[in-house]
Amino acid sequence: MNRIYHLLKKEFLVISRDVHAVAVLFVMPMAFILIMSLAMQDLFTTQSPVRIPLLVSNRDGGKPATALLKTLRENASFEVKDIPATWSDAEAAAALNDDDAKFVILIEDHFSAVVRDRKPRTGRKPLVVLVNPVVGTQMQLIVQSVLANALGKVRIEVMTKEMSPLLELARIDPRTFRRPSEAHIEMRFVTRGEQRFRAPNAVQQSVPAWLVFSMFFIVIPISNTFISERSQGTLQRLRSIRLSRGILLLGKMLPYFFINLIQVVLMLLVGMFLVPALGGSALTLGDSPAGLALIAAAVSFSSIALALLIAVVARTTEQATTLGGLLNIVFAAAGGIMIPKFVMPAVMRKVAELSPMSWGLEGFLDILLRNGGVRDVLPECLALVAFGAVMLLLTAAILKKQFEGSVSP
Amino acid sequence: MTIRVDHLFKSYGANLVLNDVSLDFREGAITGLLGPNGAGKTTLVSILMGIVAKDRGRVLIDGLDLDRDRDRIQARASIVPQSFAFYPTLTARENLEYFGALYGFKGRRLKARMDAAIDAGSLQSFLGKRAAELSGGMKRRLNLAIGLLNEPAILYLDEPTVGVDAQSRSYLLDRIDRINRERGTTILYASHYMEEIEQISQDIAIIDGGRIILHDRKEDILARRGAVTLTLQRLPGSLKEALDRVAGLRVEAETLVLDRNEDLNRTLAGLFDVLARHGAEVRALNWGNGHLEALFLELTERTLRDE
Repeated sequence: MNRIYHLLKKEFLVISRDVHAVAVLFVMPMAFILIMSLAMQDLFTTQSPVRIPLLVSNRDGGKPATALLKTLRENASFEVKDIPATWSDAEAAAALNDDDAKFVILIEDHFSAVVRDRKPRTGRKPLVVLVNPVVGTQMQLIVQSVLANALGKVRIEVMTKEMSPLLELARIDPRTFRRPSEAHIEMRFVTRGEQRFRAPNAVQQSVPAWLVFSMFFIVIPISNTFISERSQGTLQRLRSIRLSRGILLLGKMLPYFFINLIQVVLMLLVGMFLVPALGGSALTLGDSPAGLALIAAAVSFSSIALALLIAVVARTTEQATTLGGLLNIVFAAAGGIMIPKFVMPAVMRKVAELSPMSWGLEGFLDILLRNGGVRDVLPECLALVAFGAVMLLLTAAILKKQFEGSVSP
Repeated sequence: MTIRVDHLFKSYGANLVLNDVSLDFREGAITGLLGPNGAGKTTLVSILMGIVAKDRGRVLIDGLDLDRDRDRIQARASIVPQSFAFYPTLTARENLEYFGALYGFKGRRLKARMDAAIDAGSLQSFLGKRAAELSGGMKRRLNLAIGLLNEPAILYLDEPTVGVDAQSRSYLLDRIDRINRERGTTILYASHYMEEIEQISQDIAIIDGGRIILHDRKEDILARRGAVTLTLQRLPGSLKEALDRVAGLRVEAETLVLDRNEDLNRTLAGLFDVLARHGAEVRALNWGNGHLEALFLELTERTLRDE
């Protein structure tokens, strides 16, 4: 125990005095969580303060066109700005580049006629949307859908007005048709336990993602200290003190396991207190501290085992940093850390399943987002522990070969 | 503690580093292991310490077989590697405490061992300084002190004075000598610095190309007479032609080398006759004894050793 205590103490002292390690392990993920939570909070909120700017040219001027404009103005997701009806298409298109707008909606002069006639006309459509090419497909579909919805409402209004005598005879209230379709839809978030948040928010998504990412970055300090020990002859000295491979590996694993746990606690605190203090939403923890501890321990074990393998394989700290950094970026990119898995195509989602970061992320999301428990995170934990065990076995085998002198140390 | 090495072989891949090494190190003596770069010194020391596996051969330390009793042997030995084998971001005290605890000491015993090591390395004035901030000499002293924490009966020192100034070197050599005299520690001192080996060792082993090419007591080695050399002030062409005709004489630049054999007196007489006739001026004469460097270069040949 005395040996283990001093191994732990030494590793903590070395890490705490290594500015770069502290930056990589604590400052980098904190910055990521803050930036991502605050920058992306509007993507997850239903009462969005950031609105999509629309430029509208009402070349029709009729009542249906005015009603369409009114519907768009009432939509909280859009910020509608008028541009003169006299502008040509080219002038309207130029406004896309001069303004922050992503869309220009041209309400053509035959819009009201088409709405009233309900007859499709050949040639130019009554609504034309000019799109800034930086706009993604999802946003295009949203605008298209909102416009279709607004157009439908305008047409119903026109129809009910024209048919009002008939409706009165039939004693049907025309307002029934004008009720917005959203009023018939209810959105429910499905969690495994009791739902602890009003709606999923950016911090609830960011903290697990960047926490897993930062835990895997333990590869940098582990490999640096291990390779330094090897190149400085400290490892040689440790071996002459009859320190077995097992103690050596344990002496690396335990301190970094605690460092990983400190990361977990710190990042959760950042999500709970610092992000809301800066104007973001607060992180809620879910109801299963045991599940949270379990998934944190499993992620830690697999990340440390991977780091140890890289440390024994790499010959220089530069090699280890490059290899470890590259692997982490690939695992993160493929595993849904940088790009959420739900926006990935089916093939990429299959690829994501191969990344241990994806298993870790799903485990943390099970607890923090879906309010699951120990049983819910068991599959991810088993996968992570199996991955870690394989890495550790490989590490021990390579280390044995190096210790036996069959490989030049 | 006696160290016996029998027919030791070690290679890294295709590179044969130790080639049938056999020798005995005397108990309680400082043996200087002298060799050029890449001669196999570090590998031999590492094998004796049990941290690098040998390919073949046998090592017996105080009758204990390294293959069977490695733990017991390691408990009684210590190595001071050539590199600074400690943590640069820890203070000198933290390093000593860490390695002392790993040796298994704790409490008062740990403190006593630390105090003894601090005293041996004269580390008192910079115990609180981080190791990275220490001078080269201080680092060497800390490196040595850590190696003394377990009060070893055998101490392996691998180039322990590399990169230090004359004062620190003198201090370290003095300390090592005291450790040997006061504690009776058997010391194997590997170095390529001949003057250090000559100063500190009681026995000398010369290793080159993975083979021990000489192993004897220092005084016996130094008593050996090598070739007689005469260095001339200048060597004109006419004199060189005349010298080329003197049997038993080699001319190397301005130096004339006479091998020690039964014809030496006759060769010398002929040589002096030639020199007198040409009015040549002798700048230096070496009778060929008492110079380790000359012997070393003679044994290991004068070719450059690129690592």
